Amino acid sequence: MTTAPVLDPVSDAPRAAPLGRLLAAELRWVLRRPRTLVMLGLFALIPVLISIGVATAGATGRGPGLVSAVAGNGLVLPIVALTLSMALLLPLAVAMAAADAIAGESAHGTLRGLLLSPVSRLRLVVMKAFGVLVVATLATVVVAAVGVLAGLVVVGGADGQLVTLSGTALGPGAALLRVGLVVVFVVGQLAAVGAVALAVSSVTDHPLVVLASVLGALIVFGVLSAIPALEWLQPWLLTSGWTAGVDALRDPLPLGGMIESSLRALCYVAVGMGLTTYRMLRRDA
Amino acid sequence: MVGLGLLAVPTGAGAAPVLPPVTPEELVASVLTADPDAFAGTVEVDNSLGLPPLPDVPQAGDGTSTARVWSDGEDGGRVQLPTADGEKTFVSDGTTFWAYDSQGRTVTEGTGADRPARPDAADPAAAATEAIRMLQSSSTVTVDGTAEVAGRPAYELVLSPAPDERTLLREVRIAVDAEQRVPLRMTVLATGSSDPALQVGFTELAFGPQDPALFTFTPPPGSTVVEPDAERPEGLPERPGTAPTVVGDGWDTVVLATVPATGEGEGTGMDLRALGTPVSGPWGSGTLIGTAVANAIVTDDGRVAVGAVPEQVLTEALAR
Repeated sequence: MTTAPVLDPVSDAPRAAPLGRLLAAELRWVLRRPRTLVMLGLFALIPVLISIGVATAGATGRGPGLVSAVAGNGLVLPIVALTLSMALLLPLAVAMAAADAIAGESAHGTLRGLLLSPVSRLRLVVMKAFGVLVVATLATVVVAAVGVLAGLVVVGGADGQLVTLSGTALGPGAALLRVGLVVVFVVGQLAAVGAVALAVSSVTDHPLVVLASVLGALIVFGVLSAIPALEWLQPWLLTSGWTAGVDALRDPLPLGGMIESSLRALCYVAVGMGLTTYRMLRRDA
Repeated sequence: MVGLGLLAVPTGAGAAPVLPPVTPEELVASVLTADPDAFAGTVEVDNSLGLPPLPDVPQAGDGTSTARVWSDGEDGGRVQLPTADGEKTFVSDGTTFWAYDSQGRTVTEGTGADRPARPDAADPAAAATEAIRMLQSSSTVTVDGTAEVAGRPAYELVLSPAPDERTLLREVRIAVDAEQRVPLRMTVLATGSSDPALQVGFTELAFGPQDPALFTFTPPPGSTVVEPDAERPEGLPERPGTAPTVVGDGWDTVVLATVPATGEGEGTGMDLRALGTPVSGPWGSGTLIGTAVANAIVTDDGRVAVGAVPEQVLTEALAR
């Protein structure tokens, strides 16, 4: 139960609670879950582990592969860590939050209270989506921030600069801007995952179904994009543009891939949120 | 859903633009003398040549790859070949040339003759101009309507081999920018196939002054600078006595070269045999490696004959 019904002593008619308070309540609810905090802690470990691996491999670690681009070039670490964890870990975190948001509450029987409370269903959807978005943003920012720190402290920057894949050196300010750009891009993609996960969450009472369907869909997307005969399907698959984050390591910055991917994510958000709203408006308490 | 559909629809499939008519001769002459302005563009290479992907050149294998190309309108140029987890960058300011490989973080720096190998094939303008220069005397040249490439109106110039040319190719189509007279797209079509064997073309192109910083290169911290000759990856063997000779001209040109005799000759022979089929004749015996648009024979005594020609033309050239 996240909000208590507001009782008006004068008239018994239910009144809408302010949106700000709803969002704050949802935020408290999400952030007080131990699993959310444990998960954020584990996300902080990802860049640390990569940095230790790269630092111990030393100069011998150079070769093909994105991770080797981190060697002696610490500011690349946050972008590489984000790209790597985007494959499954970050979507898993978002799917978990979305599963808890509706299906989880439904399983605990607490959704009933929410549906009966004097909060319009639309606000309820906004509140739940906000909670999922906060988890996505926090997880992404944790990976990026710890990535910057671990990159500078453990790996060490190339004279405090970021050496792009194109062979140019960017100053710390420009490098942090690039990291910020990737964070925004990743959050956008995770919002798409979250929207679809919320839609699944709103039709089931079992949080596990949400996790399974989101991760299953990601794996199926991966398989589909690996089949050359299904190349025409690529523009429809959310995952096909997920490597575009690496473009931030190229100079001059090619924005085309990230913009196309973000537009695709926007379509998924629209479809996912549309289905969630449709289902929640018609859902029986 | 509609938005996804819009993203899925290929762009640039508009109606053919209406342009004033031009004769093939005028068009060819204007291409060969064209002096294009500075530009920035993205090139897409659609490769169905049937070659295996080479370790250093993943773009050689079948598939689609992109390149980003800049030119300052003079001698300066920049080509970037992105791959999923790296990038190769080639920069030239007119006198000094740099090649940067993100995988080993190595910079190859050279001047003039030491110029590191640059992927001219990634620049449709340079590749197509060269093709026109080589092929125009032995071709039937026609203008086949107009097309729109990278949002720019273009003439379709078609070079088809003259009847007495013995070649595997059916025609080479070159889309020439109507205003700047720069080749925007080159399509190579092989005999017996309606799908292009190779298509190199701009998907984005913008003419206009470019940032001069693009045409110079400072080796980044942590990189190693190597001399052009110190690291010549799978490059052309440029040793005395191995200079390639050219037999024939135009479409049925055959290039004859000699593979440098090395101690590990056995090893390379094994690899080649896996790629092709054994052939023999009065010229000796060797391995025939065939693709959709070209054949090559590597003889057992180390000679190589390559051309966009049938096997018979290669063996004739070898027998000379």
